[in-house]
Amino acid sequence: MFDSIFIGLEQVFHLQNIIFLTLGVFMGIIFGALPGLTATMGLALLVPFTFTMAPATGLIMLAGIYVGAMYGDSIPAILINTPGTPAAIATTFDGFPLSQKGMAQHGLVAAAFSSSYGSLTANIVLALAAPPLALASLMFGPPEYFWLAIFGLTIISTISSGSIFKDLLAGTLGLMLSTIGMAPIGGDVRLTFGFTDLQGGIALIVALIGFFCLPEILNSVIGQRKRTYSAVSVKPSFKVIREVISELIRKPTLMLRSSAIGTIIGFAPGAGGNIASMVSYNEAARWDKNPEEFGKGTIKGVAASEAANSAMAPGSLIPLLTLGIPGSPPAAVILGALMLHGMRPGAEMFTTHADVTFSFIMGLLVAAFLVTFIGSFGSFFFARIINIPSRFLAPAILFMTVLGSYAIRNSMLDVWIMFVFGIIGYISSKLKFHPAPIVLGLILGPFAEEGLVQSMLAGGASGSVISYMVFRPISLILIFMCLLSALWPLFAAWRMKKRQGLVSQEDANA
Amino acid sequence: MLNSDLIVSIFCILLGVLFYSVTRDLSQLGGVFINYLLVVIGFLSVVVFIKGIVKPERIQFFRDHVERNGVISGITILGIYLGFMPFAGFLPSSYVFYAVFNLYLADERLSRKNIIQSTLLSAVVVTLFYLVFYHVLQVPLPTGSWFEE
Repeated sequence: MFDSIFIGLEQVFHLQNIIFLTLGVFMGIIFGALPGLTATMGLALLVPFTFTMAPATGLIMLAGIYVGAMYGDSIPAILINTPGTPAAIATTFDGFPLSQKGMAQHGLVAAAFSSSYGSLTANIVLALAAPPLALASLMFGPPEYFWLAIFGLTIISTISSGSIFKDLLAGTLGLMLSTIGMAPIGGDVRLTFGFTDLQGGIALIVALIGFFCLPEILNSVIGQRKRTYSAVSVKPSFKVIREVISELIRKPTLMLRSSAIGTIIGFAPGAGGNIASMVSYNEAARWDKNPEEFGKGTIKGVAASEAANSAMAPGSLIPLLTLGIPGSPPAAVILGALMLHGMRPGAEMFTTHADVTFSFIMGLLVAAFLVTFIGSFGSFFFARIINIPSRFLAPAILFMTVLGSYAIRNSMLDVWIMFVFGIIGYISSKLKFHPAPIVLGLILGPFAEEGLVQSMLAGGASGSVISYMVFRPISLILIFMCLLSALWPLFAAWRMKKRQGLVSQEDANA
Repeated sequence: MLNSDLIVSIFCILLGVLFYSVTRDLSQLGGVFINYLLVVIGFLSVVVFIKGIVKPERIQFFRDHVERNGVISGITILGIYLGFMPFAGFLPSSYVFYAVFNLYLADERLSRKNIIQSTLLSAVVVTLFYLVFYHVLQVPLPTGSWFEE
């Protein structure tokens, strides 16, 4: 195996291959950063070009695009509160507040470094333990997906800053919105109100742009007439890069935990970076000594989200390379690219085609390093974007939101949905009915529904739905984690009271 | 000052009623998840409604009339842009929208310099994105029914 790893590395460092890899990372960052364009779209567009290349070269370039896009989506999330892809939703929770404090470069460097860290960790797992882990991925069935979605929803208790009941209500409304379109099982057409375009459901990116980007512009730029997007001007410096990276290196638990969450969720087919980043953010806030810092602009929040969603990418390749099951939409495109080059996922990927496979894996690994480099130094340029006066930046952002919403399905209906969601998002923010839980519900709804309905069918056939959904090893772990997550705020409040009680007792004794 | 809890809960109850009325004919598999959600929405809406009566959260929607007028104008400009796009086409409507919005957000009075600056910026940004999306990414942007033969 180590011979193959070295051959893979040698392949990646061929001048031609490293140029294609760097180009791929750049293109990936652009595809990730522009709302409306995704890693899947970038990969799908470039697969035909790789057909004329040698298999290793083509796959190395695709590796660059994939890894670049997983970082690129954090740039608009941090700068303008608009996740480039749904996987970066949790990055907005702390990334945008950082920008508002004039610390956009901190957020961007944290995102680049943690993306690389997550990607590297997951790549090492992919290179060393793909075949045994692939078998574990088969243990994820409908009940596990259902509980995973419920676990993802418990993040509402973490991000809730006002009334928990209102936030839960918002989450439930999001779940309801996720049911628009064709039912995953049964094929009923639901809540489309006569619009045939809605049969495919609401495009996530349209909802993200609507709920996050438009309200921010309406509120700060148009309503409050802020001259720049951020109240404090950003002054990028090398010192920030050094500080942020050294601070994150001093947090090995946070980084490893986030990367592990991303890798594990990645190899569960279909779960994707959306859930990975949210679960990771939730856990980071829960186990941190200062959970109150989360949501107000901390690099720990950005790191937790980005490490997880970037670790998801190599994680999703584990079942792909070993079993032919794509763990995410981009992985499905990579499956197509592999087949285009005459390779079939399975044992022969690690025997007959080991050289090409490990070139691809090493491509992912080197791309992760490139992301740190490009992201850190690119932060000098990216961070300055929010120093541009609002009167120039806001029309450009609005124009791109319209273009991005349209490009998803070439539909004006999506643009109107974005517009309506934007107005709803603005009104709901003003009413302290925060739109973040609505989007969480929208993202997690399909997993929850599919998991529930499939479990009911399979459980009904096996005798008991409850025992089918509950008494399975991974389900039990997830249920335990859901309970822990739901009860954690009560425990934290009790601990805080106890601590305050001890302090006042000590004061009285003194 | 508005009672945010009451507004949110009444809106959610009405939305729940709307969803209930249009999902009655679904099959068991297609409707089971929605039914559970409707129960949860009903329960949480009632809880928020009661909170709105007992301990309401009051908010001021707009700080002043300048904010109100600004937001309404912004929404109107964007709405007109989207409304006109299918007729005028992507390029002409975007050129106009970008330039108008740029001028609207400018603090200074309308001047020749401002207009030239906004028009040039609009031409550069919109054309650049049009070329990338239409010609490179092959996204079929609306051509506009007024210009179709």
